[in-house]
Amino acid sequence: MTTKELAERLELKGLTRMFEKPVSGVYISDMVSDVIANAKAGNVLVTLQVHNNVIAAANLVDVSAIVITRGRTLPSEAISLAERAEIPVFTTGMDSWQVASRLYEAGIR
Amino acid sequence: MDSATANHRYEMVNVRPGYVIVEHEVFSKQMRSYFCAQAQPPVEEYREGPKIWKFSGMAQSFQFDLRDRTSGAVTKYDELLGLVPYSGCPTDSDIYRLGDIAQAEKIWIYVALTYGPVEATRQPDWLEKIRILNRYFGERLTTPNKKILILPDYFNLYKEFSHGQILADFGLTAMEETQAP
Repeated sequence: MTTKELAERLELKGLTRMFEKPVSGVYISDMVSDVIANAKAGNVLVTLQVHNNVIAAANLVDVSAIVITRGRTLPSEAISLAERAEIPVFTTGMDSWQVASRLYEAGIR
Repeated sequence: MDSATANHRYEMVNVRPGYVIVEHEVFSKQMRSYFCAQAQPPVEEYREGPKIWKFSGMAQSFQFDLRDRTSGAVTKYDELLGLVPYSGCPTDSDIYRLGDIAQAEKIWIYVALTYGPVEATRQPDWLEKIRILNRYFGERLTTPNKKILILPDYFNLYKEFSHGQILADFGLTAMEETQAP
């Protein structure tokens, strides 16, 4: 599955331009330090966190996409940073558990 | 070990959760920080000779070691306070200017801040640790042509750092307290 297919399947709203990348796995966390320690390259990061640092941490571990839950959005500075890092960021009204369920149903483990 | 990491030379081991504690000296306003692995971090002020140190804030963080899978050698990073992305620095700073030039070539610069004296960041053992840290993050990247470059703190960011710049969880969760100095 790619980030584009993922967005279509989960009906995610894009906050950045689309950067189509392969998705391999998912990591759910609201802690930057936890993302650095445990997320893997290619993962979709599901988070409530909208601080610039979450983009910098996601970039460091090279996640394929970020899904912001509960309808939250990113400040323009963070959107710009994500675009420069070519990390697509999406938002959804679902909470993290609902997103996790949908990702599981979509075959992402 | 999964297939994605099977060919990686380095792995993160001995991950120890804890807190970065920031404190300030009441009279001189000097600031310093340290890592605390206690479940209940100390927040009481205390005296150290003529100085009085007062709790300023804390953030959830972690310490870790990197293990070389080929030799089994373990490199400890107890002195690493955190990583500062160039993008979190003031736009008129040298590190931001350098980072911006590098980023155009898909090289992302982060600066490794340490708890110890800045002079130590010029020592050969710390520079070797920085090289290993770069290899660890670099070998995990899957985006074509992208590079992560972690540099020692030759920019004196430690002296100027503000909580939000560091890739720790300052102000990012509801689980820590923050007080102004």
